[in-house]
Amino acid sequence: MSLLAFGGGAEDGSSSDTEPDALIDFTAMLMERKHECNGGWFSCGSKLQSQSHEDHGYYLGQYVLGVLDFSSQYGIDYSISYTAANVIGRPTKFPAYGDYPETFTMRTYGDWWQLAPSATQEIQAQNLPSLPTHDFIVVYFEKFVVPTEVAIFETFNPGGVVRIWAYSITKRWTCLWEAKPSDLNQVPHDSRRFAPPLKKTNIITKTLRIDFNHSRLNYYTEIDAIMLCGRTVPMRCMHQLLAPVGKRLGNTGEESGNGPIICKLRTLKFQPSCQANDAVKLHEFINNDLSKFLMDSHVESEQQKHNSTTEICLTDLPCEILLKILSYLDLKSLFRMGQVSHLFYDISTHPLLYCDLSLKSYWQLANSELLCTLARRATMLRKLDLSWCGGFGEISPTEFKKFLTQRGDNMTHLRLNSCKFLNASCIETVGIVCDNLIELSLRNCTTNPPLLNFSCLANLKNLERLDLFQTAFESELLLSMLESNRKLKHLNLAFCGVSVNMDNVATHLATYNTQLVSLDMWKAHFLSARGLQSLSRCQQLEELDLGWCMREATLGDSLYQLLFNCPKLKKLFLSAMRGITERDLMHIATLGKNLEQLDLMGILNITHERVYDILVHCSKLKLLDLCFCDNFMDRDFDVIADWSRLFNVDIKNSRIYNSR
Amino acid sequence: MHSLNWTSRLISRALRSSFSTLLDSASGATTKGAAKTTPIRSRPRFVSVVCGFAKDNLRHKYKPGKYGEDSWFKASTESADVMGVADGVGGWRSYGIDPGEFSSFLMRTCERLVRCTHFNPQRPVNLLAYSYCELMEQKKPILGSSTACVLILNRETSTVHTANIGDSGFMVVREGEIVHKSEEQQHYFNTPFQLSLPPPGHGPNVLSDSPESADTMSFPVQEGDVILIATDGVFDNVPEELMLQVLRDVEGERDPVKLQMTANTLALMARTLSQNSDFLSPFAISARRNNIQARGGKPDDITVVLATVAM
Repeated sequence: MSLLAFGGGAEDGSSSDTEPDALIDFTAMLMERKHECNGGWFSCGSKLQSQSHEDHGYYLGQYVLGVLDFSSQYGIDYSISYTAANVIGRPTKFPAYGDYPETFTMRTYGDWWQLAPSATQEIQAQNLPSLPTHDFIVVYFEKFVVPTEVAIFETFNPGGVVRIWAYSITKRWTCLWEAKPSDLNQVPHDSRRFAPPLKKTNIITKTLRIDFNHSRLNYYTEIDAIMLCGRTVPMRCMHQLLAPVGKRLGNTGEESGNGPIICKLRTLKFQPSCQANDAVKLHEFINNDLSKFLMDSHVESEQQKHNSTTEICLTDLPCEILLKILSYLDLKSLFRMGQVSHLFYDISTHPLLYCDLSLKSYWQLANSELLCTLARRATMLRKLDLSWCGGFGEISPTEFKKFLTQRGDNMTHLRLNSCKFLNASCIETVGIVCDNLIELSLRNCTTNPPLLNFSCLANLKNLERLDLFQTAFESELLLSMLESNRKLKHLNLAFCGVSVNMDNVATHLATYNTQLVSLDMWKAHFLSARGLQSLSRCQQLEELDLGWCMREATLGDSLYQLLFNCPKLKKLFLSAMRGITERDLMHIATLGKNLEQLDLMGILNITHERVYDILVHCSKLKLLDLCFCDNFMDRDFDVIADWSRLFNVDIKNSRIYNSR
Repeated sequence: MHSLNWTSRLISRALRSSFSTLLDSASGATTKGAAKTTPIRSRPRFVSVVCGFAKDNLRHKYKPGKYGEDSWFKASTESADVMGVADGVGGWRSYGIDPGEFSSFLMRTCERLVRCTHFNPQRPVNLLAYSYCELMEQKKPILGSSTACVLILNRETSTVHTANIGDSGFMVVREGEIVHKSEEQQHYFNTPFQLSLPPPGHGPNVLSDSPESADTMSFPVQEGDVILIATDGVFDNVPEELMLQVLRDVEGERDPVKLQMTANTLALMARTLSQNSDFLSPFAISARRNNIQARGGKPDDITVVLATVAM
């Protein structure tokens, strides 16, 4: 006798009618579980399944099966500690609260990176929403469902999630939930299963993207698991839906969130098809008949207002003023303006409005056609940001290369973070065409074999900022680039991996790039005391991130040399440099006059006296990270809080005790 | 510093063989799907139990996964069953380091690695090595050293692959005879090979062996084989004939309760003998061979992982 709670369509109406299509067949489920091998990490344990009812959907809760992409993680990619792979499967630590390595942690928290010397300005900042996305992760699940709930298990500093996107089988991204600023205010200081109310939708998906914003976070946020709940789709419906996309374009049932303008823009490739006659008619209407029209359709009390309007309207303003006004608009609104009239089309397509171009906020809409359209307009392009675009093949490398070849000569800033469409020939094109580049950002472009093994990039000679965060590259190429770009100010080599000998890089920097202002070597390998010592020749250094760089290596005199020779140091991250001695800490106190951010996470043999010394002497200090430091137990919490108030420094102090 | 060098070599080799957790878990999903369609022939699996005692029962509160400074793990996936023990080297206590932390972490990470990533069932040495590398990626500094012994049953090929560093070990009994046994690895008496992470500055003074120095063995197994993995607390106190007597009784046993009873017996035997100050234990015998006048058992943490192969 099986327990069947079944209510769907023409079946019996006597059972509960609250959950249509809910199907729970316990005995069948138990039988199935026994046969299943115990290889359970990926198995969706909370699946409620009945084999005999493939015709109807059933409710399903599933955990992440795999990770497709992520913008940053704390750990290095071959590790399983603090890395994105930990989001896969069931939660391991939830509901425990703490800083555990079995979770997914991102690289940054709070606003500290925005306050550091290496901070960048957003290109076309008006495109950004009120809660901009700092980091994201794209995950996929096993079964297609119509999503009803997405639950995110946060085990440390919850409150970072701002958007949840779903990728439907019609190859469109839909935003299922977006945070309002008020949502981020009441966040408990405890682990939580965060399941915000999703938009009602009929899309079928098994891929999600979660966006994070770190500004309000006190410290790193950590995610243990993500769960996607929804109703599965019967087989026959799936086949219908997987029909070619062209047929389905007319169906606006799925696109309930997008207005008619967006749909129209897509089909028309952003070109208004207005004939000359229509435009003039519209123009005349606006100038002459609009006021009468408005009068006719408004209530009495407003009539007086409209009677007294003067004849001046927007189109009477000189072109330059209009351009200035439109320059504040975000890209989407700019395109909409172009739909208004012939005049506005001319103004909104003026090249001066396309000097700074960023498609980062429109990553879900960016495709080759858009690039093509923009190429026609952006004749004076200087700054381009295509980060996060083209993740699912929407942008073809050929189109991108064409774009660059047409418009890349005068480009000064190019950001291609997490661009999955990049291949070797794209990078080659960058190197050949964009020789005026001052800033090149290629974060998270790791491929196998590494993209950056082409000497074309060595053509770039004017670089001041080079960002290769989480991107593999050939050391030879990097060294030759360092030699050619003497004006280099900001260099980010985080997670560059074991193939790069950092000592060599350090010696090169000391020889050729003495203007260096910021250097990020997070989790780089093979940096020894010798390398650190050579870095001290870059006397303009204001920011140095050596986190997890030297591990157990003994420092000798090198840290002292660095501190002595680089008095301008504002940000110094020495996370997990276990070789730091007490003398080094004393030197930090005496020589670190300008220090604003200091990270001493996981340092051994650190005493209260040394920390107090640092707090007293480094008067500009704003951030001090003492997590996982030896002598700072939970019982010192009060002392730390006192110091924090006294010296006006944000002191981080968290540690977990052995849970086993 | 030299430990840093070989770990980095290992990591670069790992990368070249694309050990990356993400790549493999993605491809692992698809291969898993493929594997499911083939019928599951009779594949061997372990029926395994654990028992043990901490040396100082009063001081160490019982925590799952460890007995004093010893630690163990068991994990199983579709393609392999894995077991392992690790014995923390006690000498670190005088440096203010908890010796059990290293071994416990090593075993916990091995377990996680088996579950999370696509590891090669042929190479338990790699498992140990990656686990060791993970140690260095922890925010909390973990210091100390331990021996280790890891055993993988490859279910596709019914072979067992082992890796052993130090004086823990394993023993395979079939039809009343010991068919395979691990060798003790020692630098000198009572100083086994060990994986270690010394505090900075003490590097050159501390014995640190790389996982590549592990003894590896591979052999096929049959239904009913008894496999014992234990730390030196067992091998140093219980003579081989006694162990054989206990183990041959449990050959082919599938009932985990009976197996647990045997494991308990073995552990208790080891404990009692270790407390006995007159008995000529294997430890005493080898001490005398090294011109040290010792007698009686060796008080030590005892960990017994006992498994039988079932098809």
